[in-house]
This record gives sequence, structure tokens and C-alpha cells, in this order.
Amino acid sequence: MAEVKVKLQLPDADPVEIENRIIELCHQFPHGITDQVIQNEMPHIEAQQRAVAINRLLSMGQLDLLRSNTGLLYRIKDSQNAGKMKGSDNQEKLVYQIIEDAGNKGIWSRDIRYKSNLPLTEINKILKNLESKKLIKAVKSVAASKKKVYMLYNLQPDRSVTGGAWYSDQDFESEFVEVLNQQCFKFLQTKVELSMEDIETILNTLIYDGKVEMTIIAAKEGTVGSVDGHMKLYRAVNPIIPPTGLVRAPCGLCPVFDDCHEGGEISPSNCIYMTEWLEF
Amino acid sequence: MTQAEIKLCSLLLQEHFGEIVEKIGVHLIRTGSQPIRVIVHDTRTSLDQVKKALCVLIQHNLVIYQVHRRGMVEYEAQCSRVLRMLRYPRYIYTAKTLYNDTGELIVEELLLNGKMTMSALVKKVADRLTETMEDGKTMDYAEVSCTFVRLADTHFVQRCPLVHATENSDPGPPPPAPTLVINEKDMFLVPKLSLIDDTLALAGIAQWIELWLQMKVLPVQTPVRAHAWVAGQVPGTGHARGKGKRRRSSEDDATGEPKAKRPKHTTDNKEPIPDDGIYWQANLDRFHQHFRDQAIVSAVANRMDQTSSEIVRTMLRMSEVTTPSSAPFTQPLSSNEIFRSLPVGYNISKQVLDQYLTLLADDPLEFVGKSGDSGGGMYIINLHKALGSLATASLESVVQERFGSRCARIFRLVLQKKHLEQKQVEDFAMIPAKEAKDMLYKMLSENFISLQEIPKTPDHAPSRTFYLYTVNILSAARMLLHRCYKSIANLIERRQFETKENKRLLEKSQRVEAIIASMQATGAEAAQLQEIEEMITAPERQQLETLKHNVNKLDASEIQVDETIFLLESYIESTMKRQ
Repeated sequence: MAEVKVKLQLPDADPVEIENRIIELCHQFPHGITDQVIQNEMPHIEAQQRAVAINRLLSMGQLDLLRSNTGLLYRIKDSQNAGKMKGSDNQEKLVYQIIEDAGNKGIWSRDIRYKSNLPLTEINKILKNLESKKLIKAVKSVAASKKKVYMLYNLQPDRSVTGGAWYSDQDFESEFVEVLNQQCFKFLQTKVELSMEDIETILNTLIYDGKVEMTIIAAKEGTVGSVDGHMKLYRAVNPIIPPTGLVRAPCGLCPVFDDCHEGGEISPSNCIYMTEWLEF
Repeated sequence: MTQAEIKLCSLLLQEHFGEIVEKIGVHLIRTGSQPIRVIVHDTRTSLDQVKKALCVLIQHNLVIYQVHRRGMVEYEAQCSRVLRMLRYPRYIYTAKTLYNDTGELIVEELLLNGKMTMSALVKKVADRLTETMEDGKTMDYAEVSCTFVRLADTHFVQRCPLVHATENSDPGPPPPAPTLVINEKDMFLVPKLSLIDDTLALAGIAQWIELWLQMKVLPVQTPVRAHAWVAGQVPGTGHARGKGKRRRSSEDDATGEPKAKRPKHTTDNKEPIPDDGIYWQANLDRFHQHFRDQAIVSAVANRMDQTSSEIVRTMLRMSEVTTPSSAPFTQPLSSNEIFRSLPVGYNISKQVLDQYLTLLADDPLEFVGKSGDSGGGMYIINLHKALGSLATASLESVVQERFGSRCARIFRLVLQKKHLEQKQVEDFAMIPAKEAKDMLYKMLSENFISLQEIPKTPDHAPSRTFYLYTVNILSAARMLLHRCYKSIANLIERRQFETKENKRLLEKSQRVEAIIASMQATGAEAAQLQEIEEMITAPERQQLETLKHNVNKLDASEIQVDETIFLLESYIESTMKRQ
């Protein structure tokens, strides 16, 4: 019998097949796969072919390349996004990546420029493109009203950018604050003690109004409202003196006090405020 | 002395004592201490009048004198004492609440007369009370004396400094002005008097005559006693005036008994006065201490409840004699002592008292502090802090009434946080930036808030400097105090203006009243009285009513502004003492 050397011709040596296999693997392991895993799956594929397949997938935008402490990871890209980015080029992808990393605080255009090392004109063009594709949006910061920060389209801007509950559309909601001010005060007058983080700033304004006082007591961890072993308690209080004597006289509130002299245009003898006050 | 203070002193002196005293008094306040010749020259008034004016001022404790080297006597006016005259109604009212009508009249007489001996005082008050009582009843001198002794025991009245008794037999020329000293322990020692009515009657009359005598040369035969010191009040004239024997003081006598032997006189029928030479005056510091305690107690009552304020009142009462009035803290009191000293009506248990004390000590107000654990817990009252809180509350109240409650919010915010940037103020107070800026600048221009610059670079460039808003309580208090003085001066001027406007009408009504009174005395008929009364028409009556209402309102307002002055002055004094 003659020895027959059979060369195994594996069915998936075809590049497209390799790519599909890799994608399947990625779907199996959504957190990402290393080169080693691919090698284990398809031991017969040479490193060269593997590299070509992976590169193609990357350039098509179907795979994400990540670095981990063990080595390189390949992750399946979100198909939705993958579709969007189809038409973009590398630069845009880079900018998009940077904006994504900024999370819900957003990032200023100058910072994008530093991180990507791209010239200003390029950045502006890219940002315009991304905005028209509805991938990112610009949000006006409440801190500096001229500054615009960019963040992903579907993200909720952070408190520090929009000012939190007290701002709506970048305008200070003073009426809202006033109403809450009154409500909290009434609430506290009925002797309910509470400490909630959200209302703390409003409660502080009541303290500055002199209507409420606060004490900090040591509280066990785990009781409602305790932070770091302390708890803040509030109670409504009265002022310690009634309106002082000076303000009961017209002179205490007079706007032209400094101009008033006996014998002058404005004097105690012809003071209209006194006349009105005496008729009271 | 600021212009406002001088103006106010001038108005007060004029109202109470007249033109001449006002001229001399204001001159002394403006120029400081001066000898009599200079006063005469500068004010262009006669020596005689200057002497009388000085006599009045010294009698009322408004001017003091000192002998300088080379034998010159200089007179100095005390501006702050003059301003106390605004507070007389409050002192009298306090005496009334504590010691009833008798106490009220005693303090009133003392304040109106400056200095008096006990015997004269007792007599006068008793007579006044007798007038108001029903026919046939008289006020017992002993009762009045008793109230007087109580006032002395609680330190509301005190002895005036006396001439130092030089028992040496050195007959050399007496110094141009007596130096007055008072022994601490004798300050409230009441002399024993035998209160025989006619003795006192005559003595009283004699007293009064002597005190208000003109500075004529007294005949040598006039009695030994004391009125020498009245004549000697205006020394430095260079004449041997009324220098009789130096008054003997009963300081050295342990029991305070007047000396038994007295030289007899035949020239007049003045009876010897037992407590001659021992003059009393109202102790204003003690009244101030009382007002301060009242303010603290009512602050605690407003912030907490009635029981806590009673506890604080008890603590303050116990500290009255142990703590000097200018101390920053009271002496520590143990919880047991407090429990024993609580008023009889309050039967709270020891435990409840301890709880209240703990609550008071932990309160953010910080009026009460715990200083130790012996005796069930030692507690003190933080007087300086309390005065600071009261002064701050006055400031806040003024800001609130003048600028609005949002401004008050910003003011309190900056007070609490000490130093804040513009941006931080907006954030904490939750007020829109534009309005916050406007309010801060308004308060800045009125000097309630000040700006502290912290440069980042050595060249102090404005763009590279931090600007922090801060409240300097001491300077704001001083500014407000100045405003108070001017306000009271305005109120007094307005009152005088209103009275002057209606002078004609007032005179008319006085005439009519006088006519009616005399007609009633001579037994006129009702019809005639009616006719006279109708001389004042109805609209005129209305006018008089309005005038009375206005004057009362202005008067009351002066007293109210004086309350603010008291709080601010106490705080400033307490702070200055600690520096």
C-alpha cells in the first residue's frame, strides 16, 4: 500500500469565512476576545490570514480594538453604531471616541483638539459632521455662558453643566426657588425633622433667612440620612429680638438721612416721612 | 466726640437745664478739660454765670474736676454721661417694676436732683406720696426708708465720693479743690437715721436752700456743716469762700452712726442733719446690668421656651453680686445650686433641669456653656457672646427693614461664612447673579459690608486679585450707633418744632385752664365755667389732641431708639475691654 499524504483542506480557509467565524466568536464573548482565543478556535489558520481578517473587520468598523493588561482584545461593535460610522473616516472616529469618553460632563472643543492633535479647522468640520449625523450634541454650560460642551446625543447632561434642578434652559428658576423656600419652611414649622441631600441647599437659604437653625449630631451609620457618622437636624426658630428700636422711627429707614440738617432743604422739621408716620 | 453726639448733648442740655448751661456744657465737651478762666474767656459769659452753670453740671454728675499740678483746677465734661439722660425714663420704669411706686419716686427724685442725702430724699418722696393718697392718710417715712435701704442693698443707688477726711491737725491752706474718694465697701452703706419728722422737715428745707444758693460770700457764722462743700464746689476762684470746717465724714465710723457731738448754733434755727454729707446718687451701671440681663432672658425666651428663660434668669440673678458687670463670663454655677435657687413657683425635677441645662449648653446660640462636671455640672453664661449676638441681631434687623429680606439673607450669609467671593454669594443664597450683585453693592455703599482684597500677584492687578466680601461687626455697630444718635437728635428737633408751631394755642389753653381753676376756687357757677371752656373751639381742641398724640409718639420713639443704642454700646464696650 502506498502512503497517501493527505493535506487537509479545511473548508473555512476562505477569508470571508474567517471573518464570519471571528464575528461569531465575538458575539459569543461580548466582552472581547484575545488573539489567543481566535487561534484556539481556528488552529489551522495562519497568523497572516488571521491578521488580514481582523484588519478588515476593524476597518469596516465591525470590531473594536481594545488594550487590556493581558494584551489586545477584539470586541464586537454595537451594530447600530457600526452602521452609523460606516461613512466616517478615522479622524471622525477618533473625535467621536474622545467625546464618548467624556461621559455626561461633556468636553470643550479646545480639549478635543488637545487630545486628538488635530488642527482647529479639521475639528470644526468633524464636529459639524457629527452633529448633522445626530451623533453628538452641543450643550451650553451654565458656568460660562459662552462655552459649549459636546457630548453624545442621547446622554443626559450632568448637574454641574446645567445647574441642576434650579435651572431650566439655563435660566435661574427664581420663582421655583421661592416657592420651595416657602414650602420647606412651612414643612419645618410643623416640627418634622428631616435631612435630605436634595433640599439641603434650599434649607441653607432658610438658615440665612434666619428662620431655621441647624445642628449636627453624631448618628450611627445606617440610620436614614446619616453621612459619615453625622446627621443634620433642622428646626424652625424665631428671631431672638423683635425689630430693633431704630427701625421703628422714620430716620432708621430714611433714604436721604445723610442730607438731613436742621435749616436745610431736608430737615426734621419739614420731613415728609415723619409727617406721614405721625398721622398713622 | 462726633458731631452727632455733640448735637444730641446740646439738645439734651438745653431741654433740661437751659441756654447758659448748654453753652458751657457743649463748650467743655468740644474742647476737653479746661480751667475756669479759659471757659469764661472762650464762651464770653460772665464768671458768675459760668460758676452757676458748672455747679449745676457737677451736681448732676455731668462734669468732673481735677486738681492739676501747679494748683490749677480743670473741669471736664462727660459726654457719655450726658447721653444717659435719654435713658432716665427707662431707669425710673425699672425701679417701678421692681419696687413699686415708692421705688419709682425715689429713683425719679435722685435722677432729677443729681445727688441727695437720704433724709432729704425720704422726706420728699413721702410727701409726694402723701399727696396722692386719700385724705387723712400719710405715707410713713419708715416705709420709704425701707425701700431706700432695699435699693441700696441691691446696689441700685450708691454713695457719692466724699471729701477725704484729713484728721491731721495741719492748719495749712486747704487745696483749691477737694479730692473726692469713696471706699468700695462703704459705697452702699446706709447711715442710721432717726426719722423724727420735724427734724427732717427743717433739715430738708435747710438742705435745699443751701444747695441752690448763689455763690455769695457766706457769713462766717453759718453753720459748720457741709454746705461748705457746695460753696467749695467751684474752686479756683482764689477767694476764701465759705471754707468753714471741713465736713466730717462718717466713713471712719464702723457702724455708720453719725457722730454724737455737734456744735450748737444760735444764729439760726437749723437743726443738725444726722446724715449730713452723705450724698447718694443713682448707680447707672447697675441699671445697665439689669437691662442687659433682661435682654438676654428675652432672647432665650424667643429662641426656646419660657422655662429655659427662667433658668437663665435664675443664673443671672445668682451672678449679680459675684460677677463684675464687664466680665465676659459669669462665675461657674453648679447645677445643684441652680436647682436650689429656682423660683418657688417652678417645680421642675432635678432631672428636667439637667436636661434643660444640657439643651441650653448645646444650643447654637451659645449663651450658656458648660465649664466642668463637678456638682452636677458647672455652667456659665457667656456674656460677651450674648451681647455680640444681640448686637448682630440688631444689625440684621436694620438691614432687613431697610433693604429687604433677600438682602438680609445675603447679609446673614456673609456673616456666617466670614469671607465670600461674589460667585459663592450667588450660589449659597440662591439669588440670581444680577440681583445679588446689586444688593451687595448697595450694602457696601452703606458700610454694612466691606471688601477684602487678596492679591495673587505682587502688583495687585485687579484682574488677578481675589475680592472677598466680609462683615466687620465692630465697625458696622459703630456706624449704626452714630446713625442712632443723629436719629434721636432729629426726633427731638421735630418734637420741639411741633411744640413751637402750636405755641400760641398751648398758651391759650393754659390761660383758660388757669382761669377755670381760679374761678372754681372762688365758687363760680357751672354756666360761667362752660362759657370759659368754650373759648377753645372744637377744631382747636382737635389740634391740641393731635399735638399731644404727636409729641407722645416722638417721645416714645426716642426711647425705642435708645434701646438700640444700649445694645450697640454694650457690645462695643465689651469688645473694647477684651482687646
